[in-house]
Amino acid sequence: MKKKYAMGLLAVALAATACGRDSGGTADEAQAVDTAKASGTVTVWAMGTEGEKLDAFAQRFEQANPGITVNVTALGWDVAHDKITAAIAGNATPDVSMIGNTWMGEMVKTGAIEPTPSGLVDQNAFFPGAWGTGVIDGAAYGIPWYVETRAFYYRTDLAKDAKAPATWDEVTAFAKTLKDNGADLGVEQNFRIGSWQEVAPLLYQAGGDFQADGKWTLDTPEMLQALEHWGSFFKDGLSVTTQPNGAFPQTFVKGRVGAFYSGPWMITSMEQEGGAGFKDKFTVAPYPKGPAGGTSLVGGSNMVVFKDKPNRDAAWKFLTWLTDPKVQAEWYTTASALPSVEAAWQEPALTADERVRVFGEQLKDAKAAPPVPTWEQVAKVMEAELEKYALGKQDSATTAKRMQEQAEQIGTGA
Amino acid sequence: MKRRASSFKADSGREPRSAFGRSRLAYALLTAGLLVVVFPFVWTMLASFKPEGEIRQNPPTLLPAEWTTSNYTGLFERMNMGTAFLNSAIVAIALVVANLLLCSMVGYAFAKLRFRFRNTLFGLVMVQMMVPAIVVMVPQFVLIAKLGLVNTFLGIVLPFIVAPLGIFMMRQFIADIPDELIQAARVDGAREFRIFFSIVLPLCRPALATLGLITFMTSWNNFLWPAVVAQSEDMYTLPVALAIFSNAQATQYGLLIAGAVVVVAPILLLFLFLQRYFVQGIASTGLK
Repeated sequence: MKKKYAMGLLAVALAATACGRDSGGTADEAQAVDTAKASGTVTVWAMGTEGEKLDAFAQRFEQANPGITVNVTALGWDVAHDKITAAIAGNATPDVSMIGNTWMGEMVKTGAIEPTPSGLVDQNAFFPGAWGTGVIDGAAYGIPWYVETRAFYYRTDLAKDAKAPATWDEVTAFAKTLKDNGADLGVEQNFRIGSWQEVAPLLYQAGGDFQADGKWTLDTPEMLQALEHWGSFFKDGLSVTTQPNGAFPQTFVKGRVGAFYSGPWMITSMEQEGGAGFKDKFTVAPYPKGPAGGTSLVGGSNMVVFKDKPNRDAAWKFLTWLTDPKVQAEWYTTASALPSVEAAWQEPALTADERVRVFGEQLKDAKAAPPVPTWEQVAKVMEAELEKYALGKQDSATTAKRMQEQAEQIGTGA
Repeated sequence: MKRRASSFKADSGREPRSAFGRSRLAYALLTAGLLVVVFPFVWTMLASFKPEGEIRQNPPTLLPAEWTTSNYTGLFERMNMGTAFLNSAIVAIALVVANLLLCSMVGYAFAKLRFRFRNTLFGLVMVQMMVPAIVVMVPQFVLIAKLGLVNTFLGIVLPFIVAPLGIFMMRQFIADIPDELIQAARVDGAREFRIFFSIVLPLCRPALATLGLITFMTSWNNFLWPAVVAQSEDMYTLPVALAIFSNAQATQYGLLIAGAVVVVAPILLLFLFLQRYFVQGIASTGLK
């Protein structure tokens, strides 16, 4: 008897889940937008700092476009993913939402997101890597809003006369120099949460990729090369695994760590952590080049419009405004988010700081993580295996093999 | 039932003296345990008065080297704390009232009324305790969305107005009330509602206090569901509003810690006043 009831309960639960949207909206037709007579209220979801600041920032758009009101709701990054997926399932989405660009594949697959109308924005205006994050199965969705990429930070006072490393071999020598000049370790390498972001650029620089022809390629010779290079710093004692979580970035401020790879946000973070005068003690250089070049990983967020919204014209008009080079540069001064539009990098706000300009250069050679629905799951698997590898519990070949096996089990969600 | 409550009080009055004589070691251990439990909390309180850099300083400081209230002022400036506080209070109070009434009603039915499939139904209620909330979140949201309750207080409250744990607690408690009391009332011509409100409910006071406290705490700390249902900032509860500060790259610990202290304060106050029921509740749910 009890069993029967339980089965019934399960059936009800399953039926409820099935009420969501039909999946698989790959045959989307982009519809034209008439921005001229756009009006109404546009509701926007945005995460973290962006969410806090966008509402006030959007007032200029409202002033220029009487009849359109923009309502921004800020959400925490912690809950954003669950909130957006639930909203899609319950058909209770806002008109526009910011989407972390590694989520794009997953969100588009739900069929809830409008393809970008053709002719609305010029795709060549964006960094190719950034535009690529919104292209799923050949169709473009939303627009890249801001980008981030990784580059090489180091202490100029510890480097002394040494020039910023240009190749993989030079990084090793450079890290040794930093160590000789007083750093306890050469370079900080994260091997825990988010560690895939450390390895991704190295994989690209070795000439590899996460996927080829819709299949995972995590055990290729290029991946092995990337892993060997990454792992060599741990083996040579130039990076350590014995630091407590959260010791970095203070270790960099104190000069115990001489260098690290990270995104543009670390410039302001480091200046805050280090206090007065610290900003003269470090600088940023582009990624040292591997056998196949110096490609970095591009991240950031896109803005998308959800389907079947009465105010879609106004929504797209708002998105177009957000990608105006001048607006993008102003947004950088407001929220420190790097412009996804190349022309914005000519604006004074972005040319003032030499270190910021390095990121602008690096963005021209940067590639996104694969836009597949299962990416987040595969990234988790990679993190777990990379940690074991960094701790010396398995060799590079085993790490690659295990990542590949588990990724194949997860699939690409196609 | 009342007798048990008072004997509990008497026990707690007598025990410390004799125990102290018996074992100083036990007290030393307890004190050590207390320190371990309380230390992170004290650290949090103190950290909320430190500047951002000092919080993450290594080696860490215990007492702030530089006292500042900037975390609190920043918190109140950047966020509509008043609204969030009010929202949290509305949701928590609504849930406490609903749970006290509904859980005890259902508990009474399961404990004292005889009907077909009683045990099966009770089993079903218990089964729900085994299902993690995250599993049912999306279907539950779809349901709430179809009812048109997204971004409303009712939508935030509805799925939790009667909790399986509450039903279980109340059923166990009511089962101990002598049947003779209820039968006597029935003989006198009282209907079920009259029996429930005039006889059963007043006898349940200790259990109700515990249930109220647990419900308040769960609701006050609940994060995921309100975060998903509330779609505009004027509907955000405290934990949801605070989460805006946790960022992918640069979490502002000062603001978060100050926020955590603000969130915990009412629970702490509540606990100070209702401590007795709390301990009693843990004892009664654990033993039966």
